[in-house]
Amino acid sequence: MPANETTELTVRWELSRQADGATTLALTGELDAISTALIWERIEQELALAKATALKVDATGLSSCDSAGLALLYSLSSGSMTPGAKVDLTGLSPDLDHLFRSFSNDDYEALQEHEPDCSFWINDVGAAVSTWLRDLREQLEFIGEVTIAVAVGLMRPRRMRWKEVLRVFETAGVNALPIVCLLTFLIGMVIAFESAQPLEKLGAQIFVAQLLGLTITRELGPVMAAIMLAGRSGSAFAAELGTMKVNEELNALQTMGLSPVQFLVVQRVVAGLLLTPILTVFAMYAGLLGGIPVLLGLGFPLRMVLEQIQHGLHFGDLAQGLCKSVIFGGIVASVSCLRGLQTGEGPRAVGESTTRSVVSSILLIILADAVFAAVTYVLKA
Amino acid sequence: MNGERKVLIEARDLTIGYGERVVLENINFKVHRGEVFAILGASGSGKSTLLKHLIGLYPPASGDVLISGASLVQAEGETRQAILRRFGVLYQGAALFGSLTTFENVRLPLDEFTDLPEQAKDLIALSKLRLVGLESAATRLPADLSGGMQKRAGIARAIVLDPCVLFLDEPSAGLDPITSAGLDALIGQLARGLGITFVMVTHELPSIFSVADRAVVLDPKERRIVAEGPPAELREHAPLPWVRQFLNREVA
Repeated sequence: MPANETTELTVRWELSRQADGATTLALTGELDAISTALIWERIEQELALAKATALKVDATGLSSCDSAGLALLYSLSSGSMTPGAKVDLTGLSPDLDHLFRSFSNDDYEALQEHEPDCSFWINDVGAAVSTWLRDLREQLEFIGEVTIAVAVGLMRPRRMRWKEVLRVFETAGVNALPIVCLLTFLIGMVIAFESAQPLEKLGAQIFVAQLLGLTITRELGPVMAAIMLAGRSGSAFAAELGTMKVNEELNALQTMGLSPVQFLVVQRVVAGLLLTPILTVFAMYAGLLGGIPVLLGLGFPLRMVLEQIQHGLHFGDLAQGLCKSVIFGGIVASVSCLRGLQTGEGPRAVGESTTRSVVSSILLIILADAVFAAVTYVLKA
Repeated sequence: MNGERKVLIEARDLTIGYGERVVLENINFKVHRGEVFAILGASGSGKSTLLKHLIGLYPPASGDVLISGASLVQAEGETRQAILRRFGVLYQGAALFGSLTTFENVRLPLDEFTDLPEQAKDLIALSKLRLVGLESAATRLPADLSGGMQKRAGIARAIVLDPCVLFLDEPSAGLDPITSAGLDALIGQLARGLGITFVMVTHELPSIFSVADRAVVLDPKERRIVAEGPPAELREHAPLPWVRQFLNREVA
């Protein structure tokens, strides 16, 4: 059989087959990762065609051979390319022998046989329910723990780390004001535009102002402020506490006799409770300001618009919105901190707890809002 | 002996630091092919910073790092990638990817930089794991490995592309003496058996004396190399008393 050679190859191989099927494969040159990748399948195909009964691999001519080349030699000598044939490898330099002996077919087969754990779906459902119930219990316990810790902190204000509360207040509240205001301003505009069309058919476009006032004050102001808090600051709480857990800073706190809830969570929850109503008030104003230009554009004078808003809104609406915001703030801050404290091992766990904090916070905000709506409806009825 | 060996790495008039802060000034040393070279010094003397400059993570303030005569600092694009591919690095915390198994961590460079068949990649990755004694831990996640095992897995990943030089940042940090001795034996085995050049930053005196052929000692006050030579020789004959005390573990 003629020698195979291409310009890009640093290695040559020659396959010679005798009449009894005994075949010799002679390799010469440099067998590195690039040349091995190029010749592996070609040698495999030629050996399959040769149908060798015995194979002698002669590596005497190899001037150099790296791990990839050794993998090829090992694959040849283990007989995986010539099933049933006796294989003999000769000419491997003593320097490479130690490395060659590190190749093992047993390891390879063990790896191939290893399959990731695959469980029955009932087990998965059971595990998911169990996790959910455990999580619910942990949340309830945590709410209790945080409530007591906040009460203790407020009763002993000197022991509260007010500097930390102010820092959180600034980063999660003051710094969030522009984005919260922009968002609710645009939502106010959208509501005004969308509601103006159907109300025009009824000749009641002026009621857009009342609708806007009620929607923004009772629902969208508190909800949007809380959602922004969850996405912007809740995730930061979870990531911060999660990283502290991964870096064993929480363990350090515990061994110093300090409770992570008392030391880290209470400040964030207090800041959350205080800043959410303020954020909500700004969100309400921005929402109304967003709707007013639309009404002016529809031809209503400013005075009439303001009178309509004033007429449609009552103190109870504002109080309802602010009450909600306090609850939402507590939910976001505490749930985010809980997710941070629940962080597992490694950097991936921090990402997971951050995602869980945002998802849980938004879910609980909407749930609490629904409960609020039902309760206020029943009370009014 | 070193006169016969080729120079693999050369730091030439190297000045390094962070921003305005200069950590080391006008550093000059050569690492020869196949030797185990240790960078020593007290905490804060700039050992790890020097290592990070040698592997091209940071550009130096001035001077050059030559790899087989080619400038790492000046190299760009594919040339730079080709130089960096000759390096293996073991970071202090092993830096294994937590979401991948030990085997997948070791196989990753093969997937990224070679066109080898799947079987070849598996065989190579497993052979490296066997070399460091972790073949039975192939399917475990890094979080399930002990500190010593993580370091060994880090070495397996670092040598999977057959690098010319392996940089180790505090390889024995946080390990018990027996695991640390095992790691030293592995370094010696890889240096002698595979001809890999080692550049290691370490505080572990037993490691230095058991595996290092040569060492440089950095002085944080003078911001330069104050001693260079075989560690055993430095311990006895280093010109500065504090270097001898440092290597003899004596309190000044």
